[in-house]
Amino acid sequence: MTKLRPASVAVLAALFAGCGSNSSPSDVTGVAADPSKPTKATAAAPPAVTEPVSQAQTDAAREFQKRIQVYMKTHNDAEAKVPNLKSTDDPQQIADREKALGEMIMTMRAGAQPGEIFAPQYQPYFIQIVRDDFAARSAADRKALINELPKNMKVDINTIYPTTLPLATFPPALLRKLPDLPADLEYRIVGRSLILRDAKANLIVDILRDVVPTIPS
Amino acid sequence: MKNLSVRLVVVLWSVLIVAAAAHAITSQQPAPAPGATAMSAGSDVQPPIGKDSVKFLVIGDSGTGDRAQIEVGAQMWKSHSQFPYEFAIMLGDNMYGSERPQDYVSKFERPFKVLLDDKIEFFAALGNHDDPNQRFYKNFGMGGKRFYAYQKKDVKFFVLDSNYMDRDQQRWLEDELKKSNEKWKIAYFHHPLYSSGGAHGSEVDLRAIIEPLFIKYNLHVVFAGHEHFYERIKPQKGIHHFTAGGSAKLRSGDIIRNSPLTAKGFDTEQSFMLVEIDGDVLRFQTISRRGRRIDSGEIRLGATS
Repeated sequence: MTKLRPASVAVLAALFAGCGSNSSPSDVTGVAADPSKPTKATAAAPPAVTEPVSQAQTDAAREFQKRIQVYMKTHNDAEAKVPNLKSTDDPQQIADREKALGEMIMTMRAGAQPGEIFAPQYQPYFIQIVRDDFAARSAADRKALINELPKNMKVDINTIYPTTLPLATFPPALLRKLPDLPADLEYRIVGRSLILRDAKANLIVDILRDVVPTIPS
Repeated sequence: MKNLSVRLVVVLWSVLIVAAAAHAITSQQPAPAPGATAMSAGSDVQPPIGKDSVKFLVIGDSGTGDRAQIEVGAQMWKSHSQFPYEFAIMLGDNMYGSERPQDYVSKFERPFKVLLDDKIEFFAALGNHDDPNQRFYKNFGMGGKRFYAYQKKDVKFFVLDSNYMDRDQQRWLEDELKKSNEKWKIAYFHHPLYSSGGAHGSEVDLRAIIEPLFIKYNLHVVFAGHEHFYERIKPQKGIHHFTAGGSAKLRSGDIIRNSPLTAKGFDTEQSFMLVEIDGDVLRFQTISRRGRRIDSGEIRLGATS
């Protein structure tokens, strides 16, 4: 069972407040890149700028967390209805459990539509965070990042993430700018879409399309 | 006369091929970096020196289920007779493509059957091709966790999920590093913080987040995969980095020549590493799919920090 941390709303509001200005978390000091070596996915350290949090942003942050909580309740209820999974040397048990949990959640969320969690009122904040992050990267870094993403992959809400495809690494610097998620719920990028993925169920929980900028050819 | 000409051509070609292979192995070999003393090159596995040392195997990007993995697995087992490692660390991409129950067999259990039969423990990290639910597979030693730590004698291993370095994992890492007072601290994960790979390169985003913690808490060695070759990096900020992601997959010729990062590079054949930690000394050797020792050396604690 997974619960949201109480501080998440405040963090989210602050992140949304800074999303247009590249606010930077400060708990870990960044390391200057060595210009002499080959690099990938370098995000320039953004200046720490604090903007006042508008009521609309605060409301959006609260609403996002509320929807995450609603999803996690569904997830937890589904987990209680399928066999428990502990470490096993039988891969069949792992596959069966993942499948059972995924199907249970799909059934409980039948009819779910894109935007159920990435609700329209705060989609602009997510889009801005991702675009600012990509804008801060060099063209080579953007290209390297995008080259790693699964291509020609059709994703839809409430469907299984194809197990034959790699899970592209989520850029750590971008991850630090997005709101925290409960354990086993994660952001991923597929093509130009930002998705929310339930890792235990291997399920696509929501999709925000056309978020990742295209690379000019 | 004609036969003699043919023989001469064959001999000349053989000489050229041997010379080219030798160049591929040695062309990236600069003078030994501080803290890592290169040993003389040889052709066989060197037995461990310490009586009560920690001995382990390092493999990365191994889960293909193809002939290369099977042959590397056989070589790993052959090495075990000379170098009886007690456990193996896996640097991610433990399974490529589908992960059905039968894939666990064809991409892990069968190629490494003799090791499993001999009760050699595996401790895996997750790669970008791995379903995070591999953490529940007992033979990967993850205890149901995406990131975890364990101890072998006076060595602490920190196993990270570099696919998804969220705040939870950062906090956990700092807590674990802070409370660790073992003589050796070793981290391993999939994405290399430093790499001369043409296809991927250094993971600078990740480095900006975790390297400061490694420095602050005196981590000694990092093992990574992702790049399908072997590379020993010149020590960076007092930390020794190895990339060993060519234990089945191979990206031939991918190491950027004359990269300022490379202490030793090998990208013409699959490989794995054998490591011994004996008091203040870590000894490593890298073995190719065909059983050649293509790199070796030692790291002394006093010289790293």
